[in-house]
Amino acid sequence: MSSKTATLTGLAAFDRTTSIWGPVTLGLGFLVSLAAALFTAFGTGLGITGHEVWTAFAIVFATFGIIAVVEPIAYYPILGRSAMYQAFMIGNIANKLLPAALIAQTDLGEKPGTRRAELIAGAAIIGAATVHIVTLIVFVGFLGTWLLGLLPEGLIAVARLYILSAVFGAVTIQAIVSMKNARTTIIAAVVAAIVVYGVIRIAPALTNYATAISVIAVIIVAWFARKRTATDATEAPASIGH
Amino acid sequence: MHRFAVDPGSTDISPVSFHPVLWICAAAVFAVIVLQSVIYLRAIRKAASSANLTDEQVMGSVRRGGIAAIGPSLAVALVAISLLPLFSTPAVLTRIGLVGSAAFDVAAAGLAAQSQGAMLGGPTYTQKVFAIGFAAMTLGGLVWMLTALILTPILAKGDKTLRTVNPAIMTVVPTAAILAAFITLALTETTKSGVHVLTLLVSAAVMGLCIAGAKFLKKPWLREWGLGIAIFVALAAAFLATAK
Repeated sequence: MSSKTATLTGLAAFDRTTSIWGPVTLGLGFLVSLAAALFTAFGTGLGITGHEVWTAFAIVFATFGIIAVVEPIAYYPILGRSAMYQAFMIGNIANKLLPAALIAQTDLGEKPGTRRAELIAGAAIIGAATVHIVTLIVFVGFLGTWLLGLLPEGLIAVARLYILSAVFGAVTIQAIVSMKNARTTIIAAVVAAIVVYGVIRIAPALTNYATAISVIAVIIVAWFARKRTATDATEAPASIGH
Repeated sequence: MHRFAVDPGSTDISPVSFHPVLWICAAAVFAVIVLQSVIYLRAIRKAASSANLTDEQVMGSVRRGGIAAIGPSLAVALVAISLLPLFSTPAVLTRIGLVGSAAFDVAAAGLAAQSQGAMLGGPTYTQKVFAIGFAAMTLGGLVWMLTALILTPILAKGDKTLRTVNPAIMTVVPTAAILAAFITLALTETTKSGVHVLTLLVSAAVMGLCIAGAKFLKKPWLREWGLGIAIFVALAAAFLATAK
């Protein structure tokens, strides 16, 4: 009897703590980020107007907003409630946090979904976050910044000018391979080509919204062209935002 | 000194991108994550026995998670270093390193620059364009935090409407959105110059080789490091192509 009461108290206490401090810390992260964004735009004396920032944000939101809604729903069953607040602040969920949690759970013979697994995942994420923070501070904060100072100007200028192409080439291949969906890939390639080489040539005013237009058009076409079989919906979507 | 160097039209972005306030915000994000980890670890250790876990098993899981994260963390650091010239240390540490990801943040900043009729990194990449790009990627990243904050309690209550969302929507929509976004962004790069096309193709090819190598040579680390390797090889190609 008494041990059962203790059980409830133990996990109930954990639930209470994380349901208060999880949102509070994620909320703090939110506020710090918001302050950084607003300060950079409006506090540095660059004369940026609210309209300019709003336009830029609207384009980003039109392109990625839907993914930001889908990802929390997709990750919830794997992460569990308490770890959601860790994962969406620390980031790198698919490539780092999930593998760390799964390895720790496997070690202790636990499968995702139980309360025991939730605690193991939380502990593993703390370990992963610690290693990640130390790595970032040492290799990027100190070493990277120092390295940057040593490189010749010309090299840095080239890196800055072509970094987008260098990122998008690899990321696109990564997305195509991890999605394993030839049909949607072909639809996306055709629609993107029409938008980039056709639509915005004819209507340059739409340039800013080219990516958002592609995203919406591909979602609509892919939806009507989807395979209507029972095996439709098994894989969790891969992460891009985190 | 930096305060006086603020000039919206200057292509030396460092007075803004290395602004002390941004360093403070970066430190604050790290502090919040440490605070969260401390609170969570205490709560987990207290509840452990109720979930049939010993304290050694909890601390063993912390260690296991840490060891598992070494490879991915170094891979992320490599990508982050390649983005230092573009966004500078404070933004890279908080955005690419932590909350966000290279793919999303670079895309967001690129889209924001476009809205100013500018190009990231080029002669039109001014302090003002950096500031708007940083604001856009950060505000965009906030949407993820906000949806997590709003949806987690709803999902925890086992909300029926969310749980019964047609599973097809959950696979078709994100797949279509991600592929459409990055293929469009990649094709947009091809309209800039021949060197951009070359850089894009080299990056794609190297990534393809890394993924193939991971699969056929059974070297999974190649997949993890693929993005970082591809970025550096592609930039080297761009450097060689422009050096002549």
